[in-house]
Amino acid sequence: MPQPVIAAVGSSPVGRTDFPGRDLFSLALEEAFEGLPDPAELADAVYVGNQSEQYEHQIMHGTLLAEWAGLRNVPAERVEGCAAAGALALRHAAKDVRNGEHEGVLACGVEKMTAGGTGGATDALSAAFDRAIEQRSGVTAPSQYALLAQRYLHETDATEEDLAEIAVKNHRNAAKNPRAQFSDEIDTDTVLESPPVAPPLKLYDCAPVGDGAAVALVTTAAVADELGVPWVTVAGTGTAANNIAVAERNMTEIEGAAVAAESAYEEAGLEPEDVDVAEVHDAFTVSEALLSEAAGFAPTGYGYQSYLPPESREAGWTDVSLSPSGGLKARGHPIGATGILQAIEAYEQLTGVAGDRAVPGAETALLLNEGGVADAVTVAHVLTAGTEVAR
Amino acid sequence: MSGEDRLDVDSPLTLPGFFSALADGDLLAGVCADCGEVLLPPRPACYGCGSRNVDVEPQPKTGEIYSYTAVHTPPPALEDDAPYTIAVVELDSGGRLTGRVDANYDAVGIGDPVELGTRALTDEERSLALEHELEWPLHVFEPV
Ligand SMILES: [Zn+2]
Repeated sequence: MPQPVIAAVGSSPVGRTDFPGRDLFSLALEEAFEGLPDPAELADAVYVGNQSEQYEHQIMHGTLLAEWAGLRNVPAERVEGCAAAGALALRHAAKDVRNGEHEGVLACGVEKMTAGGTGGATDALSAAFDRAIEQRSGVTAPSQYALLAQRYLHETDATEEDLAEIAVKNHRNAAKNPRAQFSDEIDTDTVLESPPVAPPLKLYDCAPVGDGAAVALVTTAAVADELGVPWVTVAGTGTAANNIAVAERNMTEIEGAAVAAESAYEEAGLEPEDVDVAEVHDAFTVSEALLSEAAGFAPTGYGYQSYLPPESREAGWTDVSLSPSGGLKARGHPIGATGILQAIEAYEQLTGVAGDRAVPGAETALLLNEGGVADAVTVAHVLTAGTEVAR
Repeated sequence: MSGEDRLDVDSPLTLPGFFSALADGDLLAGVCADCGEVLLPPRPACYGCGSRNVDVEPQPKTGEIYSYTAVHTPPPALEDDAPYTIAVVELDSGGRLTGRVDANYDAVGIGDPVELGTRALTDEERSLALEHELEWPLHVFEPV
């Protein structure tokens, strides 16, 4: 069975844009295929991660983006799993290449989140929560994660200052990432003094609303070598759905994310200690803490130390670098595109083109992409360096 | 499945049945006959063990705040209500439920005792409700 690899990546600007979704995709496609043959020569299937038709009143993104890439009469479908949709698209593409069904697949993500303003995004995102009990009670994405954060601060030594430091670290990383929505560094007080959104979470604990599209060409190493492009291997993938209502889950140990990560590690034949760099789903600062634990990087209750250099963390922490892209918090979080944006960061880290934010010697990356609140669904990927590059 | 066993809108295993009982003052849960998991609202299969051997039983309406927050940036239709307090409450049966708390955020803490009640939807909440939800009461936790 061929190992799936990522051989080309591209993204649109992330943030408030004047472009509708299909044009955002055109920008991503243009970057990914610069200097390469036409997409139709290299891919014959398309998966598109997309959260909601509420933004643009448009579904059928499989059909639409296949057409925009110049592919006709091929398998093409939209994948839905709220913010995990992008990684689900990548997972489907990788499985199709691994089982020989397709030699090349476009894994895409797109979201035009700013179309209805902040209120529109609040409404559209709340559709990811249980309708009968949660939505009718007026919950929002920040308040759902605040319920996790309040309990985490209650049970662990973590403080609001620690969560703020995670945001500060991710803004610092994003300042070195040309793809990032935010290029400004911030200090701890900026976070702590920002307006309450859902206490203990404040504005600067939250990932921003933004537009964006991203694409990855998933193919085989043989094709990538023939093209003469650097590639990374999709060595493992896993996913798990937990209950939709957050009250029914373990709120301090994110079980579904642990299950997804473990199955990706197992498929890759690797352990958490092997991971050099990780992009986790820090839609809210507390998520980076919780997912550091679920991924096996941090001892239970100490994930909040993700912002510290490895030598300053609690014993039992690995030396992984968390969210060098700036994470969802500062790189940006255009919902359906986020999973592919995480893969792009790993691709750049593992092929030696991450510039100032390169994690020295990085050979293995873990990606954790979530949909709904926390582990309502989690998708994990382990990517490993393919082509030899100067690092 | 025989005709008599089919689920209908009076069955508490469906949401109309659950909310109709709640409107009458009864909080019903599924309780797994095999592993004891409390399923709120009731559902046809147990997420603890996978069994479909689920009994429907009335539940205590008292419990404790497990976690809580206040919504400062609500859905646009609920703008005038903000900030409002929501919580995950662990009921005395062990089942957990998210809901509004009829108290200011600053007056609430983890471990505080609460009791579940209901109220009719406000005009703003009705504007968000789907047609089949219009008569469903909203559950609200009151501090005790
Ligand atoms: Zn059971």
